[in-house]
Amino acid sequence: MIEEALRERLGPVTGLRQLAGGASKEAWALEAGGRKLLVRRAGVGVIHRDTLTLEQEFRVLEAAHAAGVKVPRPVEYLGELDGREAFAMEFVEGETIGRRIVRDPPARLPEQMADELALIHAIPAPDFLPGGDVVARFYDELDSVEEPHPAIEYGLAWVRERLPEGRERTFCHGDWRIGNLVVGPEGLRAVLDWEFAHVGDPVEDVAWPLVRAWRFGADARRLGGVGDVEPYLERYNERTGRDVGLDELLVWEVLGNVKWAIGCLTQSRRHLRGQDRSVEYAVLGRMAAEMEYELLHLIERAAA
Amino acid sequence: MTHHDRPTALELLEAVTEFLAGEIAPALDDHRLRFRTLVALNALGIAYRELAAGAGDTVSPAPGAAPGAEDALRELAARIREGGAPPDVLPLLKEHVAAKLRVSNPRYLDAYEA
Repeated sequence: MIEEALRERLGPVTGLRQLAGGASKEAWALEAGGRKLLVRRAGVGVIHRDTLTLEQEFRVLEAAHAAGVKVPRPVEYLGELDGREAFAMEFVEGETIGRRIVRDPPARLPEQMADELALIHAIPAPDFLPGGDVVARFYDELDSVEEPHPAIEYGLAWVRERLPEGRERTFCHGDWRIGNLVVGPEGLRAVLDWEFAHVGDPVEDVAWPLVRAWRFGADARRLGGVGDVEPYLERYNERTGRDVGLDELLVWEVLGNVKWAIGCLTQSRRHLRGQDRSVEYAVLGRMAAEMEYELLHLIERAAA
Repeated sequence: MTHHDRPTALELLEAVTEFLAGEIAPALDDHRLRFRTLVALNALGIAYRELAAGAGDTVSPAPGAAPGAEDALRELAARIREGGAPPDVLPLLKEHVAAKLRVSNPRYLDAYEA
């Protein structure tokens, strides 16, 4: 059925196959008009709070492409494809699986990440992007879980006292980390997954790949399991004229652990509340404790 | 009180775990299905450890509260949000979370002991 719908939009289609990947979005690889394409389509049923529609995500991808960011070239917004929104973009060959990338990361990847993030933070923000207060949003999401989490509360209270005010707000990718980058032996090829794009403090993005869960087991390399933090931060500051320090980055790293802990809890509720029954979502509820422990550890170490 | 026959709940979980790990997982070519089967095995492992540890033993006490009381955790959470975290609450929170991890993912804690 999806093949037929694709043929109507893109002409003759060959080699259609569904790729493994995100639970909330489907990804299909195919060839059409002599090009390798990737079609991204909404998952069954659920609409996330605070994520973009696929049409908005496509507009963001166009804005990123126009700003010179390495992204798959946007091809076409397809509207509803067999009942669910979708768009087509160029298929970029390379590795996206975090565990494989951290096994032998390209030497230049950290500085390439800094360069790319500097470009991303200069993308003119489309006016539909959300841009609320990040701490207030996390409190709301945590309350929606309806389960007490004093460790997460502790993290949020600690962060709330330390978040610097007055940093200018910019376009933010919102899920900037290993796993959402296409990587080849030479390094960074493309930035994927723009559904969490928003307007906010750019340091949120800078710190997100430092979160332990996104090091994919390669804990000695604190930047996403691929390199040291200092050269990445120095390069980012150089490219943007900002003066982000390690202490400020730590506050956002703690908040990153809060964010992923809450993300696990809210996703498990999709299973528990019957919106999206799946053993994958279910077990995430028990994974939140890993981020809770990490954020307490970071706070304890910072005080020492 | 009903006394159930064997296999016990733990032994049933063990039997299903052995079946999934020994017979189903190796027979799966579809990598998405295989991944979900491993996730399911992980879920069974969590349930097994929680039952083996004994009910009520898995959530450690919040300060000044009976072990495992959700109300006490709720009260502590609210106090922290209001800015009134008890002094020296951090080690207690760590122990509370560590107790959850000993059930959900015992090996996770190893990284912090190195």
